[in-house]
Amino acid sequence: MRWQRGLWLFLVPSFGLMALVLLWPLAYAAYLSMFDYHLGSPGMRFVGLANYGQLLSEARLWQSLWTTIVIALGSVGVEFLLGFVLAFALYRLTFSVRVFMILLFLPHIITPVVATLFLKWILTSNWGLIDATLMTFNIGPPDWLGNPVWAKICVILADAWIFTPFVMLVLYAALQALDQAQIEAASIDGANSWHMIRHIILPSLVPVIVFTVSVRLMDVFRFFDAVYVLTGGGPGTATETITMYTYQLGFQLLQVGKASALGIITLVIVAAVIATFSHLLQRGYGRTG
Amino acid sequence: MSRTSLTRRSLIGAAAATALAPYVKPAHAAGPIRVISHRQPALEYYTEQMKKALPEGQVSVELMPIDKEIELASITMSSKSDAIDVAYLNDTTMQKFAASGWLEPLDDLWAKYKGEFKLDDFPKSVIDSISYNGRIYSMPILTNTEMFFYREDLFKESGTALPKTMQEYFEAAKKLHQGRVSGTIMTLKPVDGCLNESHWYLNAIGEGWFDKGWKPIFNQPAGVKAITMMKEMTAFAPRGFTSAANDESSINLQQGLAAMGLQWFTRAASMDDEKKSRFVGKINWIVPPGGGQRIANDGYAISKYSSKDKDAIFKMLATAASQQSMQKGAELAMPPRLSVLDDPELNKKYRWYSAARASLEVGKPFPSMPDFLDVGAIVTRYILQAVTNEKEVKVALDMAAKETAELLQSRGYYK
Amino acid sequence: MKARRMARVRNQTLLFVALTIFTFVNLVPLIWAALTSIKNPADAFTIPPTVFFHPTFEFHRQVWLDRGFVRYLINSLIVSAGTVCISVPIGSLAAYALSRMPQRRASPILFGLFTIRMFPHMLLAIPFFVMGSFLNMIDTYPLLILALVAINQPFTIWLMYSFFLEIPRDLDEAAAIDGCNLWQTFRIVILPLVRPGLTVAALFSLLLSYNEFLFALVLTGIKTKTLPVAIASFGGEDVSDWSISAAGAIGIMLPIVVIMLFVQRHLVRGLTIGAVKG
Repeated sequence: MRWQRGLWLFLVPSFGLMALVLLWPLAYAAYLSMFDYHLGSPGMRFVGLANYGQLLSEARLWQSLWTTIVIALGSVGVEFLLGFVLAFALYRLTFSVRVFMILLFLPHIITPVVATLFLKWILTSNWGLIDATLMTFNIGPPDWLGNPVWAKICVILADAWIFTPFVMLVLYAALQALDQAQIEAASIDGANSWHMIRHIILPSLVPVIVFTVSVRLMDVFRFFDAVYVLTGGGPGTATETITMYTYQLGFQLLQVGKASALGIITLVIVAAVIATFSHLLQRGYGRTG
Repeated sequence: MSRTSLTRRSLIGAAAATALAPYVKPAHAAGPIRVISHRQPALEYYTEQMKKALPEGQVSVELMPIDKEIELASITMSSKSDAIDVAYLNDTTMQKFAASGWLEPLDDLWAKYKGEFKLDDFPKSVIDSISYNGRIYSMPILTNTEMFFYREDLFKESGTALPKTMQEYFEAAKKLHQGRVSGTIMTLKPVDGCLNESHWYLNAIGEGWFDKGWKPIFNQPAGVKAITMMKEMTAFAPRGFTSAANDESSINLQQGLAAMGLQWFTRAASMDDEKKSRFVGKINWIVPPGGGQRIANDGYAISKYSSKDKDAIFKMLATAASQQSMQKGAELAMPPRLSVLDDPELNKKYRWYSAARASLEVGKPFPSMPDFLDVGAIVTRYILQAVTNEKEVKVALDMAAKETAELLQSRGYYK
Repeated sequence: MKARRMARVRNQTLLFVALTIFTFVNLVPLIWAALTSIKNPADAFTIPPTVFFHPTFEFHRQVWLDRGFVRYLINSLIVSAGTVCISVPIGSLAAYALSRMPQRRASPILFGLFTIRMFPHMLLAIPFFVMGSFLNMIDTYPLLILALVAINQPFTIWLMYSFFLEIPRDLDEAAAIDGCNLWQTFRIVILPLVRPGLTVAALFSLLLSYNEFLFALVLTGIKTKTLPVAIASFGGEDVSDWSISAAGAIGIMLPIVVIMLFVQRHLVRGLTIGAVKG
């Protein structure tokens, strides 16, 4: 069917609103990123690309970017693996699926700000639930939030706790939609589970995987609550992510110009990561986007 | 074809607009005075007094944690919006806001109502801390200082003398660091917690933050010694100290997980509250060893962009800060009024008051500069890197000093 | 045959037990928070953890009676309902148009949409506040709703796009031959077919708008404050605030749980039919 001209009008309300609410501030931020602008100061000074130059030459940016990538890949990895295992288990289970579904989905519907507070009560040293339990049995637990490695793991698990249900739900639905005949045929041919997952199920899930992983990657780069509430970026700078840095620049130091530049840099990096990822995955499975 | 859909849509649009119209009214035409404030028991009390000062419905109060409150106030006032009329500010944020030109100077109103509300009752040190460039910008509501909290029973049992110097504090923490009980609480969560703790070490052992010309001196030998001691002290801190804010530290004391340490006056009452503490009556207070811990004078400032009657707002604030109101508020926070503070009844009623009075004598406020919080954000990051062994103390402090000097240069401190 | 059935029963039982254990462990933070909300702080943070204690419903009472959370709940419901009612229809319109475009033209637009979504929200908040106060709309429902609709659009469009893609274009053409104009084709022929997709989109819009914090903090005031902002306003200087946060957080979940119970069947079916094939 030919593209019909009138269809453009269908885009108007949504895109108009986005232009107003998202694009305008985005453009404004891009504009601000070229100024030395501190919220308290009376004026702003045009500096061209100096903010970008300054940020890109800072060790801090690269370090926080690296931390972000580690945490992002870690959480998306955990979420995907766990989400897939859960979805597959539910897919295989023949009874009480619905109850599990609701219960497993619960962490995702808690307001994120509060969800991280809940996790803090579990993870905090000494009187957090894990520590208090272990110490009752005289086991000396590691310092969950005070050790650089554990702190990263805790932040990753915190994000995974909240977002695995989302991945699980989407993958479960996708499994439901699989071609049953193909799977039956495979199991009659004597394919074991692993073989079936590897060669039949996963390939047909590629588009869904691209979708969920992209959505998660995008959000995880922005994620903030877990770090802010659990570790405040510490110990030292072990969990200082790029959003923590943006927050400090924009909201604490009120260096709006530099913060905007950092936002634009983040955006470019994330877009590149996601484009690469979906390209690789689709190539890997011999499809074209 | 497309014309039909257009018409239909515009009809729907028009209908939606009509439905929404009643809500889209100027929000601040004649609404109540909007007060935003940090939430803590004392401030809940004082904002309640503000509500009572004016007829029902004329004052609306929103309480929230201080970081959120300051963000909201900065965003609102920097865009010259009149959405907020009164904001709670501590001395350092007040300076920043005043320097940015976001606050209403109160000198005229202060003079006008001096007699009616006995404003002479506030000591000069308090007036200084609510002033910027010689003008008054906020109504003082509470004085807060950190004190040294300690477990009296543990000190007695082990026959340990109360520490007077940082070295003695170090020895005591080392001695009482046994089993589940850590030697000392340390509140090192960035930015606030770590900044306060560092302030104490840098004053007690080092020579403070800056010289007279605002050149950083915290990386001089004395400063390095102070932060090195802080780093060594963390051996006796409860696990997780890098993410401990005041709440975590208070709970550590209330649950008997630490023997001593620096904490705010406003936390003292909760140590004797059996709903919160398992060691009621066992915690006592003295002046922090070495002195130089933080003193803060907090108050309520009026936004320059407020479209309400500033006279009325001032009277509301002054009523909440009146002698009568502060006598009741004294349980929750130290009142800045001399007449209330000197009341002998207070010491009898609240057993932490004598230590608090003494702590006021030796404490120090943050350096009086509008950009100190920015400095703090930079420096604490490096101090934490030093404390957690990511960097050598000297190296970290040198980098912090360099970055601080650059910031202050760009803000015009060195002409 | 019998052996195979036995194996099947065994497998199912193992699966069930494993899932039960995982689910329980996964819910521990939630259960612990629920316990915290009925403990005094002195009991909440002890070693060993207190399991037997004298429960207090003081904090739940405070949240709903003294602290005015009922009002915030109503605000939250108004804002979420408003967001869903605007976001899903306009998102569907746009998604439909995109799905009828040649893919080489639609793909970059879709990718662009997501790029917008990636920009840190905290940097959008400031310009958005400036705009809101310029229009004199701070602390009004429409402003927050518009903001939430907009940040919700990319996801809604992407989701609905994959549903529309599933529907053969022959249908559009058949409808056109029968004399439907574009709008009628969309409204009468296509939309009913993606109803399950609408449920999914609505639920995710609802979750987002109900839980959104940053925009809600910056754009609301005393009149329109939503639940997440109200809950986050506790938890500063006093440990008993933590019990209030817990009580509030448990309360705020309930409406969503109820809705989930109702729509769950549609949810999975909806996602199954097409969602995520694109």
